[in-house]
Amino acid sequence: MLSAALLFKDALYGSLVLSVVCATLGVYVVLRRIVFVGAAIAELSSMGIALALWLSGMGWMAGASAHPVAFALIFALAGAMFFGIGGGARSGVPPDATIGVTYAVAAALGILLIAKAKSGEAHDIFLQGNILGITRADVYVLLAVSVPVLLAHLLFYKEFLFVSFDRETARTLGYRVTFWNLFLYFTLGLVIAFAMQFAGVMLVFNYLVLPAVTGMLIARSMGGIFITAILSALVASFVGFSLSVPFDLPSGPAIIAVSGALAVVAWLIRSLQRR
Amino acid sequence: MTSLISFDGATLGYGHRAVLTNLTFDIPQGDFLGLVGPNGAGKTTILRAILGSLEPMAGTVTIAPGLRFGYVPQRDSVDYNFPLKVVDVVLMGRYNRIGLGRRPTKEDRELACQALEHVGILNLADRQLTALSGGQKQRTLIARALVGQPTVLVLDEPTNGMDLVSTTQILGLVRELHERDNLTVLMVSHALNEVANYVERIALVVERGFRIGTVAEIMTEQTLTDMYGIPVDVDEMHGHRIVVARRTAPAAETQHNA
Repeated sequence: MLSAALLFKDALYGSLVLSVVCATLGVYVVLRRIVFVGAAIAELSSMGIALALWLSGMGWMAGASAHPVAFALIFALAGAMFFGIGGGARSGVPPDATIGVTYAVAAALGILLIAKAKSGEAHDIFLQGNILGITRADVYVLLAVSVPVLLAHLLFYKEFLFVSFDRETARTLGYRVTFWNLFLYFTLGLVIAFAMQFAGVMLVFNYLVLPAVTGMLIARSMGGIFITAILSALVASFVGFSLSVPFDLPSGPAIIAVSGALAVVAWLIRSLQRR
Repeated sequence: MTSLISFDGATLGYGHRAVLTNLTFDIPQGDFLGLVGPNGAGKTTILRAILGSLEPMAGTVTIAPGLRFGYVPQRDSVDYNFPLKVVDVVLMGRYNRIGLGRRPTKEDRELACQALEHVGILNLADRQLTALSGGQKQRTLIARALVGQPTVLVLDEPTNGMDLVSTTQILGLVRELHERDNLTVLMVSHALNEVANYVERIALVVERGFRIGTVAEIMTEQTLTDMYGIPVDVDEMHGHRIVVARRTAPAAETQHNA
């Protein structure tokens, strides 16, 4: 099973890199209750990819299909900044409704653009993700994005924690709350835009939510949640990937299924501890 | 006495809408001021101006140089989803001194423990914040404010949603901190009866205006009736002042609400 998986070792390495960085950010996503912001940004990113393919297919931007990440990045970061400053809260629309509108519209536009893109059918894979298609060069790209993001989170842990836990007090102590909040969302948008190229909406969403939930169920401290989330994401990626190759299963859903199983085990452990 | 905070003809508001106009008062060193009034009257607006997050639309708000605020937010404004130990929450009060990219040192932890001892919950240092009672959570937030060695302690509705025992204990603790450490305290509350028996001065912020004075000056039937616009009785029981709104006929009530 392992030897079969190692035939795609670059894909395996890529999914492990995604596991670490997404699980780390996922802790904030889950604790701050912005799970669907992650999903909406992923859809915006996917819409960016679709737009690149459509423009290229129409002959208006011939090179766009070669660089869909640039389009994914623009939409993901714009979405991250929008939600980072409050997501139109001043307009009186409830924040979760704004997230829902963004998610639905971005998903629909992505499908419409792909449907009309001349090269669309061949490129559906960009929207669904193709984790097996990760090359050595892709792994380096993912590392080039993930390492600085992880270092930023390591270095500015207390700033991200403080503005997430109690923004009013952080503000009175002189913290630029809006800046730190936007910085946090910026790292989220950046990672989602790149992860989307390889993992697709569903798997990125899984990496952002399920490992962090497993961490919350098992651990009792912030450090414990980060470690458990990262470990569970790595295990899910490794096991899911290794099972998917010999059994000819799609890798993304296999990883998600293992993530789900780990979350259920964590929930059972938590339930037993409470008795 | 040295003035720490001065409002001079300050008009406060949001956008083009003024909430409070022409405020002039001082908060001297060693003061224990209760900022009292109903929700929406402008207490938080004054608080924001003091904490520097709201610029006056007109006039000035002057803060003495080097002033350090220890801020105790409303308990519900903190996100209890985060699994933090009590001592870790208190340490946040030192984050701005620790500096960017640095972790709390052993000395910071010792100071956090001292602050917890100061408010009487050192034994809870390693407990999860979420596992504490309302009163214990409030003590944790007060300890966090104290660990920054503030010049002024600012508390926003510290007894909101608390039972009688916890309310008495928290207000007693704040009074003790004021007397023992000669700490200047500014306490925001909507509960006049609670605050009046602990503070030294009251700033009353109501729809009809703003008035500031000693407890004896503000807690009179005439002043409160004028400010609230309904007949009010002020009584004394065992040295405590009690304010009771007189029962009014429905017609009068309607008139007031209108």
